[in-house]
Formats: sequence, structure tokens, C-alpha cells
Amino acid sequence: MTSIPISPASAAPAVTVRRQTTSGRIALTLFAIAILALALMPWWAKTGTIRMVLELCCYIAVAQMWNMLAGYAGLVSVGQQAFMGAAGYAMFVLAQTFGVNPFLAIALSLVVPAVLAVPCYFLLHRLDGPYFAIGTWVVAEVFRLVSTNLGWVNAGAGMSLTVMKDYSAFQRNIAMSLLCAVMILLTIGGSYWFLRSRYGLALIAMRDNPVAAASQGVNVKRLRFMIYVAAAVGCGLAGSVYFMAQLRINPASAFDPMWSNLAIFIVMVGGIASIEGVLIGTAIYFVADRWFGAYGASYFVVLGVMTVLVALYARTGIWGLVSRRWDAPWFPIRRHLILKTEEKP
Amino acid sequence: MQWFDALVQGVLLGGMYAQYALGMALMFGVMRIVNVSHGDLVILLSLIGISLASSFGFGPVTVMVALVPLAVILGWLLQKAILNRVVGDDPLPSLIATFGLSLALQNLMLQIWSANSRSLPGGGIESKSIQIGGIYIGLLPVIVLAFAIGLTFALDLMLKRSRFGRALRAAAADVEAASMTGINPRRVYAAATAIAVGILGFAAVFQSLRSTVAPADGGAQLIYAFEAVIIGGMGSVWGAFIGSMVLGISQAIGFRIDPGFGVLAGHLVFLLVLATRPQGLFGKG
Repeated sequence: MTSIPISPASAAPAVTVRRQTTSGRIALTLFAIAILALALMPWWAKTGTIRMVLELCCYIAVAQMWNMLAGYAGLVSVGQQAFMGAAGYAMFVLAQTFGVNPFLAIALSLVVPAVLAVPCYFLLHRLDGPYFAIGTWVVAEVFRLVSTNLGWVNAGAGMSLTVMKDYSAFQRNIAMSLLCAVMILLTIGGSYWFLRSRYGLALIAMRDNPVAAASQGVNVKRLRFMIYVAAAVGCGLAGSVYFMAQLRINPASAFDPMWSNLAIFIVMVGGIASIEGVLIGTAIYFVADRWFGAYGASYFVVLGVMTVLVALYARTGIWGLVSRRWDAPWFPIRRHLILKTEEKP
Repeated sequence: MQWFDALVQGVLLGGMYAQYALGMALMFGVMRIVNVSHGDLVILLSLIGISLASSFGFGPVTVMVALVPLAVILGWLLQKAILNRVVGDDPLPSLIATFGLSLALQNLMLQIWSANSRSLPGGGIESKSIQIGGIYIGLLPVIVLAFAIGLTFALDLMLKRSRFGRALRAAAADVEAASMTGINPRRVYAAATAIAVGILGFAAVFQSLRSTVAPADGGAQLIYAFEAVIIGGMGSVWGAFIGSMVLGISQAIGFRIDPGFGVLAGHLVFLLVLATRPQGLFGKG
């Protein structure tokens, strides 16, 4: 019992908090290079490649938003497509109907999911666990049915973004590339920054045990609400960018539950509650989609079975298995307490 | 008269929804599990029934006799292979597992039966109707409603009176205390899921007789069942039945106002209940 001295302040053990690791520094450098490469795409990639990368970036963004919701805030949503479609439609209405510059319209369209998320959350947070999930799906269905009935968004037929004709192909490529870079910087970089902040500490405490976190002074309700609104905006950004590149939007594509399917697959198989898992899961999904997509939807059966197997046998996904073997996080968010060794004789 | 007609049609539609909702109310009430593949199981059973009817020339009654035991076995297998491993305090694993199952089932059905809509030939029963005081009432929807009432009554009685029902309610209230008194919760869970999916066997026959089914329809069925359970109030079998009625009536009246507004009206009533009475119309607390 003598090994831990309860000492006065002067004799407090000298410690430092280590928050970054070698693997983390390498990954951060690669991340910065990747962002730069995304922004400079028009000078090294063809239009087809840029479109493909844009789609990939949207998958990453949506999956990471789902990861923040389900992995940290304990809010399992299967209706994030509600906010993607809402922002997408807002962007089309602003640019096409009101003639706002399309790139400014993307930024402005993010107000819509932020505003819509507030009443949605106040309705849905009354439902717990699995019921919350299906409640979010109902909300997405409501959004879809409302847009199908609204004349000024051209109802079920949808809208086209013909104003994009005013820009040259190169200008559009620059816009798409910059949007990819901004989207990844905001969703992945933003999440990383958030998780390393004070809020991140609170969020991790909440993930492990919401009741215990609340007893330590974490405002669980407010934090959940913040994450829900932030995830709505993040998904909205992905929606706006995706449908701008598509040049068309209609209710069935805007509020497609497929987005929830792929977010859940990516996060669960890649590894929930880790940014690394999102990147791994997206890579698997993207490769599967490119290789097997040509043979019809049968590969979705395999993806579904993989999701079941992960839920049954490996809850932490691929990244969970990897990090159990090698402790080399790409986005370290843990705080290591290092005791200064000079006190030792 | 037009609105009274809508009301009647809504009640009849509610009879169909009640058949989906009962199983969900039972599973959630006992295990706190929401089976995301609930709707896909109805569609799977419907498509199997349609294939049986077309390859062996079975009538609707024979299909039902074949389908309900099959559904019971399917439910039992679902519990043994998947749900028993994920049931627990954390709702995420069960949600993800059944979500993955739903994704796999939907696309498997798409491969086997293609995306076409099909229906079960009913030998004329689907088009018969009776006229009461100026309102035409389809014979089939009345049979569906009668079955729904019968199933609700039987399920309620079973939960309240039988030995198995007591075990079920005990396991729902406190798994550990229940197992101390000699109840095997896993066996109780397996039986509950078998009954819940068994009821879907009836729903599958009626759904494919009343309208058409296609592999992608499962999501809508899941949502309707879910809304009915929440509107009625969780943990009550009759609550789920009344919730189905409210949903059916809202949709039928919505359809009369504008054909594009029917399903939306149901969703809006659901959200209204959630905003004003989150415990449901018949929920406690």
C-alpha cells in the first residue's frame, strides 16, 4: 500500500500527456497530402476519375456522420438520407429556381438540414434504441413523400440543374475537386478535431457509459443533440455535392435508403467508433461495388451476410481486429499518461 | 357518406396492418428487439406461397396451411441462429444483425423472383363484395379483419392466461429473476419469435391475396407495423391492434383527400402521436 503516495502538490508525480503517436503523425501527413491531391485533381485526373472520387468522398462523409451518431452518441439512424435529399433539393431550388451561384447555393443549402434536424430530434429523441432507428426512417419517408407532392420542386418528376451549362468542363472539375477536399476536411478532419477536443473526451465517456458520463458532469442530452445536428449538416453537404455532380434530383434518388444501407455496412464492417474503420469499410464497399456491381445486385447479399456476421462475431469490425493485434492508430484520440522517469533512482 | 366509406375502408385496411403489427409488438414487448427484417419475412413468405400456388396449383387455404408452419420454423431458426446471440441491453447488435439480414433477404429475393410484382390467385374471393347501406365492402378485407381480431384475441389470451404466457411476461420483466424461477429465457425467446413470425404466415397469404408483392416492398410493411405499435402503445397487444386501426383509417382518409397524400397522412398521424403522446394511445405512464 505504500507504492502510491498521497502526496502534497509539490510532490505530485510529474507526468506528461502523450496524445500523438508516430503512426498518427505519418497518417496525418498522408491525410494532408490526400486533401491536397483531392483539391488538385483537375491537373492530374480525368473528369470520369474526378466523378468517381467524388462519389467515394460522399460515401466516406456519410459513413463518418453515421459513425459519429451510432458509434459515439448512441443514436442509430437509418434515415440520414432525409438530410441529404433536403440539402440536395435546397441546392437545386436555390441554383435553378432563384439563380443563385451553384457553389454558393451548396453552402447556403446546408442551413436547411440544420434547421430541419431540430424539430426531428425533438420528436425522435423520445424513442429509444431500435425505435429511434425506425423513427428516423419514417422521417426520411415523410420528406420523400412531401417532395413527391410539392409542385414547386416539380413533384415526382424531379429537377435538372441546367444552370451548370454556364460553366466550362474545367471550371466544373475545379469545383468538384475543391468540394471533395472541403467535404473530407470537414467530415474526417472535423470529426478528428472534435474527438480530440474536450467534447471528444465527453463523447468517449458517453459512448462507454452514458449514465456514468452524466454523473461526471457531461451534458449527455446536449451533446447528443449537437451530434445529431452536426451529422445532419454533414450528410446535407454530401447530398448537395453528390446531386450537383449528378445534375439531376428526384424524390426516389434524393431520399434513397441505399445511403443508410451503405453507411451501416461501411461502419460496421470497417469498425465502429473509429475513423480508420470508416476508411477501411469505404474501400471494401467501393471495390465490391466496382468489381461486382456489373453482375447485378447479388453482391448485396454478400454485404448483408457480412454485416450479420460482424454483428454476431466481431462487433468491432475489421479495424477492431487489426488494432487488437497492432497498436498503431492512424487517428489517435486516446490520452496516454507518461510518468517522468527521472525520479527513479 | 363518402367519409363514412373511407372510415370503413380504413378499418378494413387496419386489419391487414394489425397482422404485421402483432408479431412486432410481441417481439419488442418480450425481447426489446426490433426485427428490421420483419417486412422482408412477410414478402419472403408471400413469394414462397405464390410459387407454391403456381407450381402445385394450391388454393389460398392450402397455401396458408403450408405457410404458417413454415413461418413458425423460420422464426425459430431466426432466433436460434441470430437473435439469441445479439439479444441484450445494447440495442445496436440486434438492430445491425437484422438490418444485414434484411439487406441479404431483399437482394436474394430479387435474384430468385425478379423485381416484378406478383399476387396470389384467390379463386374469385378477392373480387367478391357485399353491399351494406350503399357501401360496398370487399369480402376478403372482412375476412382479413376477422382473422386479425381472432389473432389479437388469441395472443392476448395466451399472454394473460397460459403458463407459457406467464413465462413470457416474466422473462420480459426481468430475465435474471425469471431464470431463477426455472424459466429458460432462450427457449421462451425462441417460442416468442416463432409465434411472431408464424403470425406473418397469415399476413403473407392475405397480403398477396389483397394486393401485389415485390421483393422491395418489405420496408413499407416494416414501417407500417412499427407505426401501429408506437401509435397503440408499446407492450400491449390490443394497443397494437388499435394502432393499426388508427393507421389504416388515417391512410384511407388521406387517400380520399388526395391519392398522393394517403401514406403521408399515416406518417403524419404517427408523428403527431409521437409529439403529443409519446407513450402511445394505450401505453402506460
